Amino acid sequence: MLLPYVKHSEHPSARLLCSDCFGRGWALRAKAHVVAGYKNSSNTHFIDAQCYIAVMYRVFSLLALVSMASPAFPAPPQKSFDEVVKQATSARNEDRANEAIGLYREAVKMRPSWDEGWLWLGTVLYDQDRFPEAQDSFAHFVAIKPQPGPAWAMKGLCEFEMHDYPQARTDLQTWGRGDIRGGGDLTEVAAFHWAMLLTRQGEFVRALYMLADRARHDGESPPLIEAMGLASLRMPNLPEDYPAEFRERVWLAGKSAFYASMHDYARSEEYSQRLLSKYGQQPEVHYLEGTHRLFELKPADAAQEFRKELQISPQHSPAMLELARIDIDTGDQAEALSLARHATEIDPANPDAHHILGRALLAAGQTKEGSQELEAAERLAPNNAAIHFHLATAYKELGRKQDADREMSTYVSLKEKSQDLDSGERRDAKPSLEAPE
Amino acid sequence: MLVPAVLALSISLPPQSASQPSRSAGTADHSVAFDELAQTAKRAREEIHDDDAIEAYRQALLLKPEWDEGLWYLGTLQYKKENYFEACTILRRFLAQDPGSGSGWAMLGLSEFESHDYLRAQDHLQRGMTLGLADNQKLIARVRYVIAILLTRSEQFDESMDVLFTLMTNGADTSSLVEPFGLAALRLPFLPSEIPPGRREMIRMAGTATIALEGRRNEDAEKLFSELEAKYPDQPGVHFLIGAYFLSAHPDEGIKELKQEIEISPAHVPARIRLAEEYIKQQNLDQGISLAQETLKLAPEAPLAHMVLGEGLIAKGDSAGGIRELETARDSLPDQTEILWDLFRAYSAAGRKEDASRAKDEIERLGKQEDSAH
Repeated sequence: MLLPYVKHSEHPSARLLCSDCFGRGWALRAKAHVVAGYKNSSNTHFIDAQCYIAVMYRVFSLLALVSMASPAFPAPPQKSFDEVVKQATSARNEDRANEAIGLYREAVKMRPSWDEGWLWLGTVLYDQDRFPEAQDSFAHFVAIKPQPGPAWAMKGLCEFEMHDYPQARTDLQTWGRGDIRGGGDLTEVAAFHWAMLLTRQGEFVRALYMLADRARHDGESPPLIEAMGLASLRMPNLPEDYPAEFRERVWLAGKSAFYASMHDYARSEEYSQRLLSKYGQQPEVHYLEGTHRLFELKPADAAQEFRKELQISPQHSPAMLELARIDIDTGDQAEALSLARHATEIDPANPDAHHILGRALLAAGQTKEGSQELEAAERLAPNNAAIHFHLATAYKELGRKQDADREMSTYVSLKEKSQDLDSGERRDAKPSLEAPE
Repeated sequence: MLVPAVLALSISLPPQSASQPSRSAGTADHSVAFDELAQTAKRAREEIHDDDAIEAYRQALLLKPEWDEGLWYLGTLQYKKENYFEACTILRRFLAQDPGSGSGWAMLGLSEFESHDYLRAQDHLQRGMTLGLADNQKLIARVRYVIAILLTRSEQFDESMDVLFTLMTNGADTSSLVEPFGLAALRLPFLPSEIPPGRREMIRMAGTATIALEGRRNEDAEKLFSELEAKYPDQPGVHFLIGAYFLSAHPDEGIKELKQEIEISPAHVPARIRLAEEYIKQQNLDQGISLAQETLKLAPEAPLAHMVLGEGLIAKGDSAGGIRELETARDSLPDQTEILWDLFRAYSAAGRKEDASRAKDEIERLGKQEDSAH
């Protein structure tokens, strides 16, 4: 272990923070998972490299003599593909990475369609943090075998390291769609990076959902805290690119969010209070407070925080929508309608805004207008189960039984799917990667 | 900043295994072209025409991608030009050729640090130190400094303090260590560049006091602690820092300070552990045990809380329970001799001779290991 200061045993989650997982080591474990399922090259006819060189030296010496007598002497015999593969496998198994890289390169040059070779080449290169070269190898692999699988995750991780974030996200999404995701280490790292990319894209709720899942699974680690802090403060940044002066509030928000996700509200509150005392006048802080109060099922306290956020950030549509949601539940239809309408004006492409406005209209007895808003929400987020439920309610009230039945059936099907993903049994086999939209 | 000086030094150093370009590979034309480019690159580098040198190294490496000397100089020149991302890519290729180069890992770690890739930076800088940086004292100091501030950023405050103390005893300019010491002492996981504007004064006061303490200027330290406490009585970390110091000199004062810290930061695990330890030391066993147990509810895996609880239980006569706690602590911190000594005494008192002997052997092994490290 080259990290005398990282004590893995103190936190099982240290796997997320230490070099073993983020740097070189985890890839060693990951590569076994990545390649699992592909037939390994046989070692039965293993030829020791040195022995091979000695034999070849003698052969070449002899041939050199013969060539003097024969001007039409043919070119020296090339190594066969199988020989190269065997040598590459041996080099890899014996941690002679550079040699393995050279041999795999030779093998895929001889047979560019050899998918397993590209996969191993990429994996060994990734293990050396040589991301551009590794990405190229994984790109060759997925060109041959395009079905979603662990190689897409590896390719996406390389692209993340190369700062090609849009492509990284696309590839990680492809990976997430597949049934074979690779081993636990790969899943952990890939899901964590995916969540960071979601934050960068401004999809904070989905990112937090995934990160909270990681928190419960892996425990606390500084990278996880930082990632949760960014998503909680709705900062569309990666941990390496946000302004230095935000570090303290990101850390405090991350700690608070982490403990909230672990249902340790007392500790979450301790960090929240520190955040509020130092940054209570800054945007996003009261909104975060409000969401924590909602977790604790304290809607009145939450409403107060959302109002404070709106004083600081009058155009904060998520705060408007959360407050409108609370208003619907408490019967303040007028404020709910006003807030939701304002949110749709600020953010017309936000399905949540149309959804809440639709609900507010339904609650106010304006069923037809409500159904239209819910239809707009459905168009923007067709996989959101709750929208289908409320749409079914609206159609039922409008006497559109067939439409209501269809929406209810969609709702049930989406709900079952999400419960299925949330079940512990299923999670072991295929962890939940996507947050509900 | 130390960077320019370090750069000047490290760039002038050839890699440990840097080889002259070989003529064995490629065609004769290739070889001539490569030799010309290598010479051009060298000349440009020596004449400090960095852009020309970079271009020539790039061209030469297209002809011979594994030329380690070329990779080294291209990597360090990119670092010098503050193209840290490119420096990382090239230095990784260099290290693939020469994984035993401590300077290579150090330069990669520094490049990663500048790219804000802090986890890899910490790992690679530590690897560089482990492999050795020859006698490049400036590079060693820079690497240690960055390791220390990264340890603080990843909430490894005690480990960071150890590295900072090493820097101090090795003659580093203490003015550059004030903020790192202050951050580690107040347990604030930020880099010096990340200190929020309104907090710098408090952090500098804590740092100056800690440096005074490390320099055995206790009177100065106490004076600074009083000022710190008077000015920042409600800030998390302040009472812990002062309390931890007072525990040895004025234990009752120390207890008072730690209690105040726990009032301000109820989840402050180290404050709770130190207080529980002090209670047990003062034979206030029930209070010590209870506090250690509460701490373990907050942080079930905190090994030092298990250690303190074990000590308390043994002092109270619950030998089996105490040993169980000490063993849990040892499993998490196998290299902590204090826990092994506790276990040795507990096993001996319980008549578990073989276990006691094993603990003693382990203590001796660690002692030898430490001696050889020094």
